[in-house]
Amino acid sequence: MFNFRTLTIIKRELREKILSKTFILMTLLVPVFMFGILAFQTFLIAYNGENSATLLIISESSELTNSLRKDFGEMSLVKNGKYKIDFETESKSEIKNKIDGLKNKLLADKLTGVVFIPSTALKDKRIEYYSKNPGNNDLFQKIRGTINQALVDNYFNNKQLSKADIEYARDRVDFNGFRISSDKEVKQANDGATIISMVFSFILYFSLMFIGMMMMRSVVEEKNSKIVELLLSSVKAKELMTGKIIGTAVTGLLQMIIWISPLIVLISSSLFVIPAEYMPTLSIGQIFYFLLNYFVGLITFLGLFATVGAIFDNEQDAQSGIWPIMMLVMIPFFISISMLKNPDTLLANVTSLLPFSSIIVMPARMSLVEIPLWQFALSIVVNVATMLLIFPFAGKIYRVGILLTGKKPQWSEVFKWLKY
Amino acid sequence: MNALEVRHLKKSFGKVKAVDDASFDVPEGAVFGLIGRNGAGKTTTIRMMMNIYAPDDGEVILRGSAVTEEFKQKVGYLPEERGLYKKMKVWDTLMFFAEVKGKSGKDIEKKANEYLKRFQLVDRKTSKIQDLSKGNQQKIQFIATILHDPEFLILDEPFSGLDPINTDLLRQIIIELKNQGKVIIFSTHLMDFAEKMCDHIAMIDNGKIILHGSLAEIKRKFGNRNVNITYDGNISFLKNNPIIESIQDFGNTTGITVREESQSQELLKLLLENNVTIRRFNANDISLHEIFVRLAGDQNAEVVNV
Repeated sequence: MFNFRTLTIIKRELREKILSKTFILMTLLVPVFMFGILAFQTFLIAYNGENSATLLIISESSELTNSLRKDFGEMSLVKNGKYKIDFETESKSEIKNKIDGLKNKLLADKLTGVVFIPSTALKDKRIEYYSKNPGNNDLFQKIRGTINQALVDNYFNNKQLSKADIEYARDRVDFNGFRISSDKEVKQANDGATIISMVFSFILYFSLMFIGMMMMRSVVEEKNSKIVELLLSSVKAKELMTGKIIGTAVTGLLQMIIWISPLIVLISSSLFVIPAEYMPTLSIGQIFYFLLNYFVGLITFLGLFATVGAIFDNEQDAQSGIWPIMMLVMIPFFISISMLKNPDTLLANVTSLLPFSSIIVMPARMSLVEIPLWQFALSIVVNVATMLLIFPFAGKIYRVGILLTGKKPQWSEVFKWLKY
Repeated sequence: MNALEVRHLKKSFGKVKAVDDASFDVPEGAVFGLIGRNGAGKTTTIRMMMNIYAPDDGEVILRGSAVTEEFKQKVGYLPEERGLYKKMKVWDTLMFFAEVKGKSGKDIEKKANEYLKRFQLVDRKTSKIQDLSKGNQQKIQFIATILHDPEFLILDEPFSGLDPINTDLLRQIIIELKNQGKVIIFSTHLMDFAEKMCDHIAMIDNGKIILHGSLAEIKRKFGNRNVNITYDGNISFLKNNPIIESIQDFGNTTGITVREESQSQELLKLLLENNVTIRRFNANDISLHEIFVRLAGDQNAEVVNV
């Protein structure tokens, strides 16, 4: 199967694919696109935080007003000038007039809102907010804690409690996730795992689709332009198919290595330092598994894409005939995205070991939870077995289909080809 | 000595028997024509000879032993439906097709340059195939067919779709290779071309070989009661004459079959007596076209072995 003929085909494929503009563009653009999305999200969150506000906080007791002024004075948003807050003491009966007097300022956005803390709030913590935009959750989020702090301090002030007691009472419950693995240390889980899982699902999905379609188009082109008969006068159909698939798979592998090389550098050296909460917890072994799994999966899918390409003699028919294969890539992709919420569902466990789906689901899962070694081994065995099982059939359909032109064949006819 | 022997080749696609028990010989140094109408099974036979299709049954013997994949390296093949990689450059195309035949290096580069020079395409080396005219693409295809110096040249309907200049060019190539002692096999439905160029033929109809052998002997065998004439005047009086078996009008020439070989002289006398002006009178001559019509017209024709 591997001889100079196959090698010549591989060489041609490599040259054509690696030097093609689409390939170079995709190789460079996908990381830019991925980082772009991450950066855009970060930017959006940061932008939200940039909102400034001008507030007037009114309470009924001067004592509370003073402690509010003191507590807000320590808030970073006030310190850096984003929030400008004035404090006043008024009685409840004056509020209505006060608001009426401020109406124009409120409507003109010179004043974002007025917070009124009635004396009843010292018992029930119910306060009032007057604004053009009274449902501003972002703002509530930011000032709620500080107001609560002032109210709590005030409430316990006369109750002979230590500062530590008050501190404890006003603290909120904080979840810190820890990932349990067989490693000796218990590592703190972080956002890095989620990001890596997303990145893995996305690049696997994208690459299988992109390289697969490239393969299909190339087979259709050879068939459509009749060049295939000339090729078959020099090489066997099997050699042609093998050469094309290996050439294309090596191209894909190269692209994948380029795409994840930043990750490899990140985890294997200290050249770059990123915040610990984003640091992925991957081992070099897992990266190696990822690449091996991708290579086996790619070869399997390329066989399928090439076979569909060989069945049809024009791109339109081939596009409409490729959907069963595309489903095999898309469904696992959706499963692995849904897994981000809970990576340990039955669906995730099973699909990470099934033929085809494990190619995308397993790498996405391994970055979220600890996977027993036997499961890695099983998924590789399953994928290699799938590949070996598919090729005799794919090869046969390819061999027959590649020389048949004319009317678009029915699927039932394609199955008959297996007997030719 | 036979270069190739085709033995009982069979190939079916579903219910259609494309080739049904085809046997014939291609002698060393021959220009061999596989003749038949469209859909007769020519391309399928050729594809089986080259191992592109695996036959259902039968075998092809190359100089005494069954053909293997290595045979492909010895063949230059020009398929009926021609095509090249549109986006590949001329030079890369030529090198690629030589390389899949196992030929590369300085010699091939030198030869490629010579051919490009001869076909006036040397300045198009770095052009993409799609930027060449159709005629020039055909020339590149010829070069790709013969660049690796094949021992066998297999051409499937070689003249279809060629402009007159390329038709001539291809004919030159065929003659050159023939003079170098190469075996040339082509399939065609054009009887005139086959008659002019071949020395051996096999005639195929409905997947069956209905005639094969040396062209000269075939013509002798079929021509012995046949007269080929060119004339002015009216020959309709011959229609019911007892010495005439059949008359076929081919436009320029007319083929007449008499009942017995000796009656051709009688036919000439008859024509002169009836004031028909004879321009050409060829006794014992028959065109391939006539033979084909005679054999393929009759669906129950038996295999004639000459």
